[in-house]
Amino acid sequence: MTLLNVTDLRGGYAAADEIVKGATLRVDPGEIVALIGPNGAGKSTLLKLIAGLLRPRGGQVRLRDRDIAGLDAPAISRLGLAFVPQERNVFGAMTVGENLEMGGYLDAAHLRQRRDELFERFPMLAEKRRAAARTLSGGQRQILAMAIALMNAPGLLLLDEPTAGLSPRAAEDLFSTIVALNRSGVAILMVEQNALEALEVSTRAYVLVQGRAEREGQAAELASDTTIRDLFLGGKAQPMLAGNAGGPS
Amino acid sequence: MMSLVQALVNGLVSGTLLAVPAIGFSAMFAVLRFPNFSVSGIATLGAFAGYVAYGAGLELVGSLIAAFAVAGVVGLFFDRVAHLPLVKQGALPAAIASIASGLVLENVIRLGFGNDLRGFDRPIARDMHIGDIRVSPQQLETMGIALAIMLAVFAALAFTRIGKAMRASADNPELAALKGIRPQRVTMIASFVGMGLVGIGGMLLGLDSSIDPLTGTRILLSIFAAAVLGGLGSPMGAVLGAFLIGIAEELSVLTVGSPYRAAVGFFAILIVLTLRPRGLLGERAF
Repeated sequence: MTLLNVTDLRGGYAAADEIVKGATLRVDPGEIVALIGPNGAGKSTLLKLIAGLLRPRGGQVRLRDRDIAGLDAPAISRLGLAFVPQERNVFGAMTVGENLEMGGYLDAAHLRQRRDELFERFPMLAEKRRAAARTLSGGQRQILAMAIALMNAPGLLLLDEPTAGLSPRAAEDLFSTIVALNRSGVAILMVEQNALEALEVSTRAYVLVQGRAEREGQAAELASDTTIRDLFLGGKAQPMLAGNAGGPS
Repeated sequence: MMSLVQALVNGLVSGTLLAVPAIGFSAMFAVLRFPNFSVSGIATLGAFAGYVAYGAGLELVGSLIAAFAVAGVVGLFFDRVAHLPLVKQGALPAAIASIASGLVLENVIRLGFGNDLRGFDRPIARDMHIGDIRVSPQQLETMGIALAIMLAVFAALAFTRIGKAMRASADNPELAALKGIRPQRVTMIASFVGMGLVGIGGMLLGLDSSIDPLTGTRILLSIFAAAVLGGLGSPMGAVLGAFLIGIAEELSVLTVGSPYRAAVGFFAILIVLTLRPRGLLGERAF
C-alpha cells in the first residue's frame, strides 16, 4: 500500500498566489524520495501543503489511504507524518532535552521511552541534553530538528532542505543519518538543493517545475540524465526549466 | 553611607514588589507579541479587588488570590475582545488599544471608589533595626510573598508541561503549533496568568503604601522599564530589570531628589534602547 499519495495538489501562501499547480507524487513504505527542482518551483510550499501548514486549494493528499488535505498540522502529525522545516526548526532558548519533550507533546505517555531511544540513537543529543539548542552547531541542530520530529514515531518524515547552510562534511554526515533513519523503517520525502547528493541516497525522485512534478523516476536514473546533470551540476538550463528562477522555493 | 545602604535596602524591597507585575508583563509580551499597557488598569484593579476581599475578612493569601483571579479574568476579557483581534495588524494597534483599556479600567474604578487614597487595614508593627537600617515586618512579609510567587512562576515554567509549552510557544510559535501546542490555549493561559500576576503586583504595592485609581498608572513606566531593561519577553530578565529599576529609583531620591524619581524609568529605557536594544538577558525567553 502506498504511504503517501498526492494527486493534483494546488495551493500557495495567498488566494491569488498559486505556487503549487497540480503536483502529483507518491511515497511508498521504506522509500527515500527526493524532490528536486529550480528555485521558485514550489518544493517547500508543496511540503507545507502536505504537512498542513498551508491549506490546499485543490487536489488530494492521502496518508495510508486517509484523506488528510485540509487537516491542520497537529492533526496530521498525530496520524504519523512529521515535517522538519528548513529554518527555525528547534526551540533555541530551550535545552536539547526540553526540545525533545516538546516534540513528544502530543504523546506524553511514551515521552520518556521515545526520548531515551533517541538519546541512544543520537548520543550527541544525550551528551548535550542540558545545553540550549541555540548553542549547537548547524549539523547538530539539524539532527535535533529531526529528533524532535521523530518523537511522535512518524511513519513518514518530510525534510525541507536539511543540509542547507551546512559544510560539505556536515552535509555528508547528515545524509548518512537520513539513510540510517530510513533503514530503521521511516519513509522520507526530502526537498534538497544538493540534488546530486540527494539522488545518491534516494530510491526515487521527482523534478518539480512551476509547481508541477514534470519528471519522475528512479533516483539513479535521474542522476545519470544529462538534462538533470546539466541543471543541477552547473550546466546550461534546459527548455523544461527555463524561466523558473526566483520566487518562493 | 548609612542612607546609601538604606536606599539599597529600600530599592531591594521595591524591586521585589515590582518584579511580580514585570514578570507578568514580560511573559505576556513573549506570547502575545505586543506590549500590553493595560497593565496600568489591571494593577489598579488587582489592588482594589484585594482591598475589597481583605476588607470583607479574607486573610492576606485569600485576598491575593482574589486579586489574581479578578485581574486575570478581566485582563483576559480585554485581551480577547480589544487587543488580540488587532495583533494581526501589528503590535502597535494592539498596544494603543491596550492604553485605552487601561484608561477605561482606571475610570471605572474611579467611578466606583472615588479618588481617595485607601490603605489596607493591617496591624501596626514596630520597624526592625539592623544597625541604622530600618525595615518594617510588613515589608519583609510582602517581600517574602513576592519571592514565593516568583519562585512558583519559575518552577511552573521550568517543570510543568504547560509552562514548557508556554516557553516553546514564546520561542518558536510556528514549530510549537506544528508539535500540537495549541496557540490559542497558550495565549489564553499567558494572558490570564500574566494579568493575574500584574493584579497581585498592584495589591503588593498597595500593601506597601496605599491605593487609588492611579496606583497602576504610577508604576506602569517602572514595569515597562524593568521589562525592557531585562529583555522584553524574558521573565528572568524582568526580575533583574525590576531589581535594577527599584534600586536606581531609590538611589535617585538620594542624588537628584524625589521629583526626578519617575525619570529613572525613562532614562533606563533610553540607555537600553541605545546601547543594548535586546535588553540585558536578550533572547533568553526563560
